[in-house]
Amino acid sequence: MIEHKPLYQAMINAVSQTLENMAFMEVMEHFDRSYKIPAEDLIWNSLLINDPVQGEIRLAMSKNLLKKLAGNIFAIADDEITQPQMDDILNELLNTIVGLFLTNLLLDDQEYKMGLPELNEEALPEVDENTIVWKLMTDEEDALQIFAIGASLVILQEK
Amino acid sequence: MKRIIIADDSTTARMFIKRCLQIIGLGDAEIIEAEHGKEALAAAKAQKVDLLLTDLNMPVMDGETLVKWVKANPKFSDLTVIVITSAGNPAKEAQLLALGAHRVLNKPVSPPVMMEALADFLDE
Repeated sequence: MIEHKPLYQAMINAVSQTLENMAFMEVMEHFDRSYKIPAEDLIWNSLLINDPVQGEIRLAMSKNLLKKLAGNIFAIADDEITQPQMDDILNELLNTIVGLFLTNLLLDDQEYKMGLPELNEEALPEVDENTIVWKLMTDEEDALQIFAIGASLVILQEK
Repeated sequence: MKRIIIADDSTTARMFIKRCLQIIGLGDAEIIEAEHGKEALAAAKAQKVDLLLTDLNMPVMDGETLVKWVKANPKFSDLTVIVITSAGNPAKEAQLLALGAHRVLNKPVSPPVMMEALADFLDE
């Protein structure tokens, strides 16, 4: 098994740092662990981690939160934001979050390789035993969720 | 007026870096946006550029190849090159510095970090 730091906190810190720096939003754990973002309001993307562990990270949030993030990042009104800008923001957020997550997780001398983010149109897959879920929300109580999928990632929880 | 190339395939990342530059006092610089390394290299060859800010993971030509090309060309010996990436780690950073990059910054970059990294450049 690879040498690493605590996995759950590594992701919380990555998401917090990304949203605070890029969109001036605070992130905390969701008060309702059973909360699910309604399917009709949900948008999500995914990115593969190739090395030193293999797995997939998914970022899911409400379309409303993505609009707020876009407004903060581009400093323009919600109704001026285009769909390509929204898609690009979601991908850049995931790209940044996963990079920070791996930096936070792995010890200093370990290299990592990650793929490129991809938007997904289909329904978010059900969570199984090979999935870790982070249920988070912003200071305005907009929900976002992160999923880490893959046995080699899940096993890192045990340390 | 300083001329700066921002190479990143993400519109969001380019916009965010531009905002950081404005905040640290480079709002009047001429910004040239490039979606990949090849576009950035063509822009650098076409006119004198003072600063190159580049991502690593880009289509067509990645940031590492861009740094190699730029630093292999004596024409760009004065060009300050900063890599801004989400795929950075100490091993990769050492590799990029050996290639001639001046600094490697992790995304999301913040204005204070950008200011510190560009201190010499801002003093010029």
